[in-house]
Amino acid sequence: MVFTSLNFLLFFPAVIILFYITPIKYRWVTLLVASYFFYLNIEPVFGLLTAIITLSTYFFTRLIDKVKDDKKKSKFMYINIAVVLMPLFFFKYFTAINDGIFNILEMYEMRWFLPKIHFLLPVGISFYTFMAIGYTIDVYNEEVEAEKNIGIVALFISFFPLILSGPIERAGNMIPQFKSDLKLNHTNFSTGLKLMLWGYFMKLVVADRIAIYVDAVYGNLSHHNGDTILLTSLLYPIQVYADLGGYSLIAIGVSKILGLNVMPNFNRPFFATSMAEFWRRWHMSLITWLTDYVYTPLAFSFRQYRIFGIVLALMVTFALSGIWHGATLNYVVWGLMQGTFLSIEALINKRKSKIENQYGLKSNFFYLIFSVCLTYVLFAVSLVFAYDASFKDALMVFDKIIFKRGSLFLDKTTLAYAFIGVFMLFLSEFRDEYFPKTLLFFNNKVFVIRLVSYLCVALLILWIGVLNGGQFIYFKF
Amino acid sequence: MQRNNIVEKVKEILISVLEHEGFELTDDLVAADVSGWDSLTHMIIISSIEEEFKIKFKLKDLNKMRNIGALIDIISSKIS
Repeated sequence: MVFTSLNFLLFFPAVIILFYITPIKYRWVTLLVASYFFYLNIEPVFGLLTAIITLSTYFFTRLIDKVKDDKKKSKFMYINIAVVLMPLFFFKYFTAINDGIFNILEMYEMRWFLPKIHFLLPVGISFYTFMAIGYTIDVYNEEVEAEKNIGIVALFISFFPLILSGPIERAGNMIPQFKSDLKLNHTNFSTGLKLMLWGYFMKLVVADRIAIYVDAVYGNLSHHNGDTILLTSLLYPIQVYADLGGYSLIAIGVSKILGLNVMPNFNRPFFATSMAEFWRRWHMSLITWLTDYVYTPLAFSFRQYRIFGIVLALMVTFALSGIWHGATLNYVVWGLMQGTFLSIEALINKRKSKIENQYGLKSNFFYLIFSVCLTYVLFAVSLVFAYDASFKDALMVFDKIIFKRGSLFLDKTTLAYAFIGVFMLFLSEFRDEYFPKTLLFFNNKVFVIRLVSYLCVALLILWIGVLNGGQFIYFKF
Repeated sequence: MQRNNIVEKVKEILISVLEHEGFELTDDLVAADVSGWDSLTHMIIISSIEEEFKIKFKLKDLNKMRNIGALIDIISSKIS
């Protein structure tokens, strides 16, 4: 069951009704049952994974809380991290490692005792694994107390709006909310519905429409010329943003309706003027998770090397982020590119700031546009490696863009519909970025304007949305 | 060492690492309010403080440094 399925449109109102008729004290139980129903509905055996991760996390966090000796606390933390990481490692990397050994031995005409096996990655496994790890480290660091009610821990790990693709929430934010009096109210209901509506717009009108063009070109690179591939490479970042950004808004909206505040995942990333700023606005729940639990411990260990320690920590963090996205050379290159961009910025940052202040560049319109475009292009270049293709294909993209120009492949209907969606999305974000309190539609004081806005967006989804489109991109991670 | 002396030395370190004086060092001041104090410069500041006061922080201490007041308290507890 996914947010864009008809089943979800039946499931969610049913959850709201059940939630409403349950006594306030036990509403978390309704959410827990609904969450397991939601996840088991995708594949019953996946429930075993969430159950194992919950039991292990509950047991070890309680132990961390109980023992006094710091060495023992640290040992229990590492044991739980190893236990909860095991399923993720197995499902994500077993195929790559097994196939690798199989192929190497085959080159020397030897046989590997296992055949090539391809396991299906349990959807959402990365996200709840990261949440469980974060919770364990937070308990160790005395940031949060170990929860005594196993049901609440189970709900934190399996909460249905977040289980498939995040946002990767923190126990410090969610557990106190699950334990509080959860109430339905008009304001939350209305805010949540607005977020959901815009999330569906981003996914169905923008992401899935662009996907038709991107898949047609990237899926058949040898038949397309450089100009077409250039346009595709520039469109792909918008598709990924609208896909995960749309998913996140629906997840945040669903949670809001149930009275729960979930952290934002994006903050208008394409208005960033540097890569460092971009990564403070893009997939924020993942990047703050990586900062807190990977980058900071690494940078702390390397701190005696000053700026070079920071560069090393950045490179390792983003290389790991790349390997998490996929056990392929492409994703490692993607990760190392991000690490390199950020390291260069860290090294030249002070000099850059001095020049910007000296010439008043920060308020210069053309400099601003240049910085925004440069950041976008750098990200788009790196994202060529993040599409599901081989390393050779990624190199072909650059080869064709530079050397094999030609006339643009114009799928007029797809591009025209995509343009309407992208234009509306960027117009709305431009307003939020530079003129946040003007030209309001969803939040206008006049009821009629609000109503017309909702209807227009809903009709646009029905009119030009891709209602039989693909899955969410981040389900494969 | 007096708290005031610690505050003065921390201020000097911040000015030296961030290369500006555009902040007022109060107990409530947080990194997000100071231009240039991000996750990258933070570690250089931490390392400079360790060198200046000849102390060693633990990773756990970092999480407790919610504002300048907390940072100063941790430094004084390490010195004493």
